[in-house]
Amino acid sequence: MAEAPAVTIEREIDPWPARVGPAEVTLKLTDAGGKPVSGARVKLEGDMAHPGMKPEFGDTREIGPGRYQGRLAFTMAGDWVMLVHVTLPGGQTLERQLDVKGVRAN
Amino acid sequence: MSGRTNQLPFDLFRVPVLGRLLRWRHSRTALQIPTLMVAIAMIVHGLFGPTLAPKNLATTVSWVHFRGALVLVLLCAGNLFCLACPFMLVRQWARRWFRPRLTWPRALRNKWLSAGLFALILFAYELFDLWSSPWWTSWLIVAYFAGVLAIDGLFKHAVFCKWVCPIGQFNFVASALSPLEVKVRDEGVCTSCRTKDCIRGRRDGSGLVSIQRGCELALFQPAKVGNMDCTFCLECVQACPHDNVGILSRPPASELMSDPRRSGIGYFSRRPDLAALTLVFTFGALLNAFGMVSPVYTLESWMARAMHVSHEAPVLGAIFIFALVVEPVFLLGAAAWLTRVWAGSRRGILATIVRYAYGLVPMGFGMWLAHYSFHFLTGMLTLVPVVQNAVSPWLGEPLWRWTGLPTRFVQPLEFGFLALGLMGSLMVMHRLAEGEEGAHPARAFVPWAAVCLLLFAASVWLILQPMEMRATFMG
Repeated sequence: MAEAPAVTIEREIDPWPARVGPAEVTLKLTDAGGKPVSGARVKLEGDMAHPGMKPEFGDTREIGPGRYQGRLAFTMAGDWVMLVHVTLPGGQTLERQLDVKGVRAN
Repeated sequence: MSGRTNQLPFDLFRVPVLGRLLRWRHSRTALQIPTLMVAIAMIVHGLFGPTLAPKNLATTVSWVHFRGALVLVLLCAGNLFCLACPFMLVRQWARRWFRPRLTWPRALRNKWLSAGLFALILFAYELFDLWSSPWWTSWLIVAYFAGVLAIDGLFKHAVFCKWVCPIGQFNFVASALSPLEVKVRDEGVCTSCRTKDCIRGRRDGSGLVSIQRGCELALFQPAKVGNMDCTFCLECVQACPHDNVGILSRPPASELMSDPRRSGIGYFSRRPDLAALTLVFTFGALLNAFGMVSPVYTLESWMARAMHVSHEAPVLGAIFIFALVVEPVFLLGAAAWLTRVWAGSRRGILATIVRYAYGLVPMGFGMWLAHYSFHFLTGMLTLVPVVQNAVSPWLGEPLWRWTGLPTRFVQPLEFGFLALGLMGSLMVMHRLAEGEEGAHPARAFVPWAAVCLLLFAASVWLILQPMEMRATFMG
């Protein structure tokens, strides 16, 4: 089995602190050498920390070398977990779990 | 013959196929094996599966499906979870090798311990955010198995069920509202019965080997009233040589309206421990829901600043003491005092509280129903992708978009459950006032009705609050 590629993901969420409603998510993907990872397919999934809640999904587009932007709706206040599903240009896939704690009510 | 035969109630055993299945000698084991397998799958997935709660069997099944199905089955039928309890199956197997020798201490033969454990589980649920942790949820299930084996391995009879199990106590109290009860069909048959197998069990010809257990919870069928302490284990059904025990229909909450001497329990009015359990049940329902709405975090942050603490435990502890001790004592104490003053009741304040506390059970159950059915109905289909994910890739790509009913359809149902609870509590309180304060029942009823209305208003307010599920409160 191929080893998961060493990709670092940095995230920005606008508005921050996150509030209930649509948010703009920007992700910066870099490889082990710090070089931007271009040409990947990146999908977003937002899950509440509590089970049984409706997950939210979002696509992204590459807005610059290794920079991907998409929208994700936080439908209720509380702790969210953002799953980032990445398919690299070589077909390898990876998934990262990023906490978005304390999404606030409007 | 008793007059009951003229108005035969519905008997679940008379239902074709289902009745035969339930009366089958191994019906309980047949129901317990699947629940044990599910429990094992939950433990394994919780410990070794995804760490994200919505993707894990342990958290999804425990906090969405089990709780929701539990309250809905209690509402529509009876205490069927205890019937299918997986912990008791393991305990039965273990007792083939370990024969318990000890007797449960007399000082612990009450509900104080289980009421405390019930409150402790509610506290741990909030403090450790069990709903968001598959790992902790798994360990809770493991601890349950360990607790059952340790206690029922040492002590004779069904000590864990009767005096310890917090889930069991929840079921016992809630099943006061259930429409079904394990009950004798014809009291005349019991009067002429000489063997009393339903309580004593049956032994073989030598008298040394037990071939059929009687009720391990000390409920003697002819004197049993209501569902309190009944695990629906159906041992009495198997033991009765006259086929005189059925699962019969009755008006929900009827057992709360009178105070006869109950086998294995005594009088409700002389059981402050049982009354305390019902209060933890009722006020715990509101507290558990309060832990999931936005205002709790504002309150916790304010209290943390006021108390100069940065850890959640003392803040949560203070909220729990207020909600489960101070608030009930104040509200019920005031109502009991007014009952004495207005209705001229000669009963003491504590005795009055104990007598009327049972009237709050429908209101509490209404809140549990509203809360747990919300999670169940809005998230019931999440079981499909979670199972797919657990056994992937055989069941295809998980359907993560599957959730359940939209909130707008479920919320009216929540209000319906609350209204049903309020109606039930008002009816029980009215009957209690009629029975207890013969001279001025209306005056006795008013303060208790006011308590019910206050709890109803608080419950409606809670349901209307925006949900906010956070593992931290200081953010």
